[in-house]
Amino acid sequence: MMHNMTPPEGYLCLTLGQYTCLIDKNAIVRNLLLVTLLIFASIGSLAIGTLSLSPWEVVQAVFSVGDTMNQFVVQELRLQRLLAGLYTGAAFSLAGCLMQTLARNRLATPGIIGIDNAAMAFAVSSVVSTGISIAPSGMALVGAATAAALAFGLSGSSGTRGYRFIVAGIGIGSIAGAATQLMLSQVAIDTANAAFPWTVGSLNARSSLMVSVLGVGLLICLIACMLLTHVFSLLSFSDAVVIGLGRNMKHLRMIALSLSIVLTGLSVAVAGPVGLVALIGPEVARVLARYRGTPLVGSALAGALIMVIADLLGRTMLSPIEIPVGIVTSIIGGPYLIWILIRQRSAHSL
Amino acid sequence: MNPTLNVTLSAKDLTLQHGNTTIVESLNLTLPEGKVTAIVGPNGCGKSTLLNGLSRIHHPSHGGVLLDGKDIHKQASRDVARRLALLPQDTIAPDGITVSELIRFGRHPHQSALKQWQMSDQEAIDYALKAADLSALKDRLLDTLSGGQRQRAWIAMSIAQETPLLLLDEPTSALDLGHQIEVFELIKALSEEGKTVAMVVHDLPSACRYADHIVAMKSGKIISEGCPKDVMTKELVLELYGIECDLMPDPMTGSPILINIKRVQSE
Repeated sequence: MMHNMTPPEGYLCLTLGQYTCLIDKNAIVRNLLLVTLLIFASIGSLAIGTLSLSPWEVVQAVFSVGDTMNQFVVQELRLQRLLAGLYTGAAFSLAGCLMQTLARNRLATPGIIGIDNAAMAFAVSSVVSTGISIAPSGMALVGAATAAALAFGLSGSSGTRGYRFIVAGIGIGSIAGAATQLMLSQVAIDTANAAFPWTVGSLNARSSLMVSVLGVGLLICLIACMLLTHVFSLLSFSDAVVIGLGRNMKHLRMIALSLSIVLTGLSVAVAGPVGLVALIGPEVARVLARYRGTPLVGSALAGALIMVIADLLGRTMLSPIEIPVGIVTSIIGGPYLIWILIRQRSAHSL
Repeated sequence: MNPTLNVTLSAKDLTLQHGNTTIVESLNLTLPEGKVTAIVGPNGCGKSTLLNGLSRIHHPSHGGVLLDGKDIHKQASRDVARRLALLPQDTIAPDGITVSELIRFGRHPHQSALKQWQMSDQEAIDYALKAADLSALKDRLLDTLSGGQRQRAWIAMSIAQETPLLLLDEPTSALDLGHQIEVFELIKALSEEGKTVAMVVHDLPSACRYADHIVAMKSGKIISEGCPKDVMTKELVLELYGIECDLMPDPMTGSPILINIKRVQSE
């Protein structure tokens, strides 16, 4: 080579033999910041509770040293809830970011295509219908899959802009919502209470198997997103431009949509519909990225952070009464979202 | 830079439909290599649809489009994108993108997940910035540019794609006279470097001045084709647009311009 190769401004170029990879320097800084905050929030979440621990005791307990009682509390009681919060927050938010990029609308969430409503309806039905309740988590997953399959089936294809699919999803979502209300109105109050967490989103009703499944699913989707960042950045162009650059827009949309559905389905099965995270997480990531590019990894990290903090607040604010995480995200997230949308500099990016 | 690489693009018995409506009917066309071809005609004559057909966006109902003698739809889209660049009318770009970031997207067909940056990418982008005279604006946000500058940035993106063929759909339609000329001169310069260019143009005198080859369309068919001086007649203008006029050579360039324009009352 005669000249030195310099990467585009603001990027690092990693070279391995003939392979090269561009990394956005600002994204590294942003994501490291989010990871740091996430670590602090996680330690806080593990430390605070009926038995309060110091941060150092938490760290010791996580690595299985120190007081056995502390180890039990952290590892057996709190760690799994923390993981459930981290995974669902990241998954909801990543799914939201994909959906918003896909629909070119910052207010789009996987919720608008009815997935979380259907998961809720199936979970509630399993709680209220039979004496021997089939695991609601499993039913939630079945519900999410059913809704996605129905939306695909009814719309025939994703349509030119995915709108057909969305309209079908909205219909399915409202049917599922109505079915949930009907079921809850027909059963005894105790049963309705038992089903309640599934209608607002809570980390209480989680099943440990589902949390592990979600963890694996999230990891796979996150890796897929990182490998496809290069291609997903094309989703914000018009179809004709994308075709001109040699990519099939329909395939791109299908991949993004499928990832979004899998992530939402799995996390709804763990925590029920904590929908607002899918709006706030990506928005926080975009604010940090100053509305440039599609911050997929940033969205996942921001979503996890919001979920962990929301769950911590829900457990401690009115302790010993616990507020479901879905309600907390709505209470703190709603106003925050309104503020962000109002102070947004230009209307056209909405 | 390898603009001398010869690539041919032609339509063979091409029929394009929107739903059941035929827009372009059994059309045959070969783009002259290394020349600028302007496709002209009244609104709704099918010129944009033809361009979309040539650039594989619109699938043919009958016949086909041949790139290097082979059906364009039977070739891998990325391979096609290394030979044929397209500037559509509908250009939506991501929010907050800078000029050089936009141009970098032109390298997409040459890159992959594991080859995201190579010497050739850097050279192509530098070249495109220079060719489109955008070096001073490379870090500006696309939204903050004037219409002409923005259009030049999009053309620079197709230059960075390093294709021997370039198709443009009404590249000057939203621009004022000064910006139109700025863009047309860039297109002309690209063809002088060996690129084969085809563009849909509304303005007849500009088409005559900047194109080497005129394709006049009406109702989905080519009614006249050839070099501007031969093709442009009073009769053609009357047939295309329903106006009567006289043609006279431009005192400077000799290309035909329209004077004494009168609308013919429709019977």
